Amino acid sequence: MNPSIKLLLLLLISLEISFTNRLFVNLILIICLFIVLIFNKLTWHQFCWLMLIPLIPGIAVLITIGGYGAGHDWLTGWSMVSRFYVYVFAGGVMTFTTSPLTLVRSLEQNCHLPSKFAYGTLAALNILPQIKRNVSTIKVAGKMRGLDLHWWSPTLYFKAILSAIRWSDQLAQAMETHGFREERPRTYATLIPLRWVDWAILIISMVVLQILLIALP
Amino acid sequence: MEQIIIQDLTFAYQKGQPILNDVSLELPLHKSILLSGPIGCGKTTLLKLIARLLPKYGGDCSGKVNLPQGQRIGMLFQDPTMQFTMDTPRHELEFTLGNLQVPHKEISNQVTTALNFVNLQEVANQKLTTLSGGQLQRVALAVTIAMKADIILLDEPFSNIDEGNRQFILQKLTKLQKKNGTTIIISDHDLHNYQDFSQLVVQFHNQKAELLSPQDSQQLLKSANRTHANRITTSVPEASAQPIVELKDYSVIRNRNTLIGPTDLDFILNKVTLLTGPSGAGKSTLLKSIAKLTHYSGKITYAGRNIQKTFPGKYYSQVGLVFQETNQQFLNVTVGEELSLSTENGQNPFFKGKTPQAILSMVGLPDISNRVVYSLSGGQRKLIQNLVMLMMGHKLLLMDEPFTGLDHKSLQKLLTVIKQSRQQFPQTLLIVSHQLDYLNGFIDYHLVLNHHQLSYQGGLHDESQH
Repeated sequence: MNPSIKLLLLLLISLEISFTNRLFVNLILIICLFIVLIFNKLTWHQFCWLMLIPLIPGIAVLITIGGYGAGHDWLTGWSMVSRFYVYVFAGGVMTFTTSPLTLVRSLEQNCHLPSKFAYGTLAALNILPQIKRNVSTIKVAGKMRGLDLHWWSPTLYFKAILSAIRWSDQLAQAMETHGFREERPRTYATLIPLRWVDWAILIISMVVLQILLIALP
Repeated sequence: MEQIIIQDLTFAYQKGQPILNDVSLELPLHKSILLSGPIGCGKTTLLKLIARLLPKYGGDCSGKVNLPQGQRIGMLFQDPTMQFTMDTPRHELEFTLGNLQVPHKEISNQVTTALNFVNLQEVANQKLTTLSGGQLQRVALAVTIAMKADIILLDEPFSNIDEGNRQFILQKLTKLQKKNGTTIIISDHDLHNYQDFSQLVVQFHNQKAELLSPQDSQQLLKSANRTHANRITTSVPEASAQPIVELKDYSVIRNRNTLIGPTDLDFILNKVTLLTGPSGAGKSTLLKSIAKLTHYSGKITYAGRNIQKTFPGKYYSQVGLVFQETNQQFLNVTVGEELSLSTENGQNPFFKGKTPQAILSMVGLPDISNRVVYSLSGGQRKLIQNLVMLMMGHKLLLMDEPFTGLDHKSLQKLLTVIKQSRQQFPQTLLIVSHQLDYLNGFIDYHLVLNHHQLSYQGGLHDESQH
């Protein structure tokens, strides 16, 4: 499915269920998203993470509304918890089935996102592992000079910000030397098609969602 | 107009401190030109001015840099890691060709051609972060090939890579120049083995630059070859020598490939050991393993104790690493602050009681205590980095390419400082370096990492053996 349409669909679903309060609709959504994930080779490890992330806020909300809320409304409590899981599973479907590069390519080609924004974000994303390594290296560099840098030390962040500024400059220069210009149109190595099937899935899914919301308790 | 014309060019990063002062040059096209000069003389600056990256990205500029119409410029940077936008070589090439509006159908073919030219087909889809410095520079070269650049600028492109890769890239550039008449401008402080490649030399001196005549250029390159010593003689450590670090069944696996096979080896206390090997062989990885900065299998002991069971605070007060990426070493802003941090916390008696100015002058630097570290040239930063780490007085100092970007004079001065310091404070040094100039007699043992194996070399060693 086209990544941009997929993103739009998931955003619309998430938006709609945040204004409604239907436990069964949420459960059906979770099952549907779960099936999509299984078809995309969800690992046990990833599954556990998806289940774990909303667990603590979920329990907290459930106890607050069900246990202490006016009228001890457990149904509303459960539908809130299920809502958390819809969000997390929707996010999971997006991240596990689409690489950032494909999404950026699709946003650039199908939604005409400015290429400056698209590739700037991508470049930043690609140096993220380097930034992470950089922070731990700074700590070691400090220890080797007799400085103990804890995670709350200003020096650590000062140095990290300094590196980030330098990198952003270097990245901009690198992009420019590799022929990138902000205003100039580009051609594409990989074309991301936008077919009528994508639109059909989007529209049908939304119609089905409306029917479910009206029909189910 | 078949020339790059530079007229009355003055450039300064900080007001009142010009790097280039009133420079006028006429650089002919379709030639190979070498920019030569001591560290911090403005070689990088001139290249970036030609590439139009400066003054766009900072600095004050007066005068003119005129390029002939329609010349496409490609550039290789000093730091191999920071020149890519995408995650893999293939994606980077696709990105570049897309920028240049190459039609969709031709992109795939052109990517393959460019990768073939630099022999990098196997790593086309590997993450750039897993490639070695030498491989990264070859990717950067592939990008300029794909761009069909008319002018290729290379800023100290060989400072982090081994002789094999250097020869490979030079050979490919020569081929390009002969075939397409590409203009190639390289900045390098080390002029050896250029005599077959470069026809012209621009010499930098006191904020000025001068184009030498073809005869003078050849003369200079020939004499550089003579002073270039690439042979060292060492012996193998004796069985009774006292070790400081021991590797037991040590091995490293990266991307499901064996980088270093299971090894048992000792590093000898209070000696200087040089580690060489082809780029990407795992030399930096070995140093990082000893510095507890990367994963490995097996056991490493320091002074008889497993390093994984030693507290980091205590361990790093005895074991230091001079990082390959110079900037990672610095924790402050100015040179003075960096030096005084090491004076306060350092243990090396050789540097005790010396002023920052005295320490700087030992390696031939003027009093630059007030300068921001990051505004210095690559070579100057390398000198400061070495100094602040030597001052700390670690019992074991691991040095990853500590001589990168240093001209002959600075290198000799730095080596003298290390020798004098070792007379008062005999620390153990483990040095990774691809350049062997002036190292003969300085090092005690020579370790080679090749074909996943580490072994001590005895007798004469020639760098062409790689």
